[in-house]
Amino acid sequence: MPDYEPKFLALCCNWCSYAGADLAGVSRVQMPPGFRVIRVMCSSRVKPEWIIRALMSGLDGVLVLGCHPGDCHYQTGNYYARRRMAITKRFLEYMGVEPQRVQLSWVSASEGQKFAQVITEVTKDIKGIGPNRLFTDESQRNGKETAP
Amino acid sequence: MNHKEMEKKLRREARALLEQGKVGYIIGFEAGSLKFTTTPLITSDTGDISRLVVNPFIANNLSVYLAGVKGRVGIVVKGCDSRSIVSLLQDNKIAREDIVILGVPCSGLIDLGKVEELVGKERDELDDIARDGDRVVVTDNGNNSEFPIHEVLYDNCLGCEFPTPQEYDILLGEPTLPAGDRYQAVSLMKIKQLKDMPAQQRWEFWRNEFDRCIRCYACRNICPACFCQRCFVEESEPQWLLPVPRWQDNLMFQVIRNIHVAGRCTDCGGCERACPVNIPLRSLTREMYGIIAELFHYKPGMDKDTAPFLAAYEATDTEDFVR
Amino acid sequence: MIPATEKVKINKKDVAKLLGEWSGEFTVLVPSRDEGVVKWARWDGEDASFLDWYRNTIVPPKAIFLPPMEEMFGFQKDKASYRIELPVSSERKQLIFGIRPCDAKALAILDMNFSDAYEDPYYLAKRKRGVLIGLGCANPYDSCFCTSLDSSPNDATNVDVMLTDIGDEFLVEVITNQGRELVAKTSLVQVAAETDEVRAEEAKEAAYGRVARKIDTGSIKEKLLSCFEDKDYWEEVAAKCISCGICTFLCPTCYCFDISDELVKNQGERFRSWDSCAFPLYTKMPMENPRQQKWRRLRQKVCHKYGFYPINFEVIACTGCGRCIRLCPVNWDITQILGNLPTKEQLTPEKC
Repeated sequence: MPDYEPKFLALCCNWCSYAGADLAGVSRVQMPPGFRVIRVMCSSRVKPEWIIRALMSGLDGVLVLGCHPGDCHYQTGNYYARRRMAITKRFLEYMGVEPQRVQLSWVSASEGQKFAQVITEVTKDIKGIGPNRLFTDESQRNGKETAP
Repeated sequence: MNHKEMEKKLRREARALLEQGKVGYIIGFEAGSLKFTTTPLITSDTGDISRLVVNPFIANNLSVYLAGVKGRVGIVVKGCDSRSIVSLLQDNKIAREDIVILGVPCSGLIDLGKVEELVGKERDELDDIARDGDRVVVTDNGNNSEFPIHEVLYDNCLGCEFPTPQEYDILLGEPTLPAGDRYQAVSLMKIKQLKDMPAQQRWEFWRNEFDRCIRCYACRNICPACFCQRCFVEESEPQWLLPVPRWQDNLMFQVIRNIHVAGRCTDCGGCERACPVNIPLRSLTREMYGIIAELFHYKPGMDKDTAPFLAAYEATDTEDFVR
Repeated sequence: MIPATEKVKINKKDVAKLLGEWSGEFTVLVPSRDEGVVKWARWDGEDASFLDWYRNTIVPPKAIFLPPMEEMFGFQKDKASYRIELPVSSERKQLIFGIRPCDAKALAILDMNFSDAYEDPYYLAKRKRGVLIGLGCANPYDSCFCTSLDSSPNDATNVDVMLTDIGDEFLVEVITNQGRELVAKTSLVQVAAETDEVRAEEAKEAAYGRVARKIDTGSIKEKLLSCFEDKDYWEEVAAKCISCGICTFLCPTCYCFDISDELVKNQGERFRSWDSCAFPLYTKMPMENPRQQKWRRLRQKVCHKYGFYPINFEVIACTGCGRCIRLCPVNWDITQILGNLPTKEQLTPEKC
């Protein structure tokens, strides 16, 4: 398989993981460049529609990042996110979507290194399973951009 | 289980409820206009009560009609349906004092599709289909064929853990004992076959099935758990899925729908029955049901005082999958 | 239409060969089964074994001319405007083998809709290159009621050739010039004897008699008009409907569609797809939704087919195929509704 640079979404909660991402940036920690950050107020804001939409539009993966359990800025948001992500991930795997494409991680505001590490590992995972061709029609498999 | 006796008791109780003004409507089943079918009967007229039936074809989950009801209703439910009612109570969609639950202890519904395939004839070409204990007898042109129930009942009936309604006001017969593990393997066979496939092949399987989908939304509309005034597919700002029946959108519609009803779906099988193009939807809903049971030890519709599954959490919820 | 003066017949065993012959010029579509779902698909070139089990398809042949989804055109942003790219459509003719009389007759409603005020190029192009070989029913469903709607299991309206089952053979009646050309080309047909024609008449009568479901279309439109304002009546009628799209999507005379655009950066496609008046959002507009309540939508559906169409076009927009009854998840039955319309005396005085 020719080398490809995985492109995935990193949904970061405003209070912990986004700050952690910021710290990683400020600390000049090296990370593969294929991720795109979207800031949300809390990891529980993430809906399954977003994850599906991301995959359908051709992104190679979705990574949701939140505060550690017990540390959610809104007390309980990440607990809900944990349940929702658990079933979303398992269900998508049952459908045949590779498990590496949808992941959840806890990164606190002071864990700049951890953020970089998670990004690096997830990039490696997704690189290993190849680009997202799940939603391409036969006619589009020769490289035409996938319509969402 | 004697259907005729339950029917008599149902008619007696339903008539009393209406006559005494305890309910404004009765929602139950009456004989359908096609052979071996029943159809919902929604009536406030005591003159219609004699049309109420109990038989192996009372398939519909009538709790779907509760969301829009005004005033008090009496409703006929089987085991799975009564759990849908509990689920609606958990969601605060209906008030317990607004419903009188007439519970039918269920011993399984006959899957006409399975019968048609076994006999090689269509429903309207058969004379009779009758349940006789552990067997189902099909009469065709005077000839009888017998089939063991595990070949002709719906898959979800074969795996049913709670055939007797959990929540009821009036129980119409002796409680039915669940069959236990006896038919679990048969009930889950389609899902097992899917899980034995490699991921790529599974995706191709579902892609192939959803090529047939025409987006009639019967699966969604027949589901009691789908009570949103505006479904996510009807959003256009932003638009999550095209209203066009491409397999990509069809498939993802069903994935998101299953996540939305997770923990509220009681495996009544209504979606698969409603689908006009035979997409094996129960293989999706039952798997979600299984995931929730396995990871969270939660069974939908058991306790009306528990918070709904996705609106709750435990500090000890699984973290295995977290990076 | 030319008078069907020539009667020939073909042995059922030769049908596969005939389809093979026709496959040279046409894409041949036949009934096929996919996961138990009977539908129209390209003939696989093997045999005509579908004749053993075929009664009727789930999705009607309207799906060939008005597909569930259809790309209307692609567009590409080109500086300040858009460049339109029409889809490449096949010029190859299609032969639909085995269309039932109810489905063929229903095409008249679609034809009227798509060529009346505006000529729909997508539908008409497909219709023009379609040849219909009708197959009379020998085994109607218990949901069929074509005989009440000025039709029969052997009605040859809109087909090019009509086949009637007479045992080991089909009687072949040529209906149109195109049909005549088709039949003239093949050597697989033999001249039908008088006894064959007698057998065909008997078969047609027998099939007619087998359609058990009937409605009296006598005064339906008058009754519908007079009970139009009776909200209580229509609420009762609509009570068990779940507002899905099965009846309308599977109806051979329904033609409503929605148009949507799909845009990815600077390019996209415009699609047409089936829509249903039964859906709650069908009539939603910015200010209001005149048919928000289910009973209004049901009322419209019934009145459109059995009231307004007869009033405006002198034809009932239904051919009795029975799919709506057979496949409705709650067994809502139009023939029961039509058979129980209230007379003026039975109406409640309440207006809606």
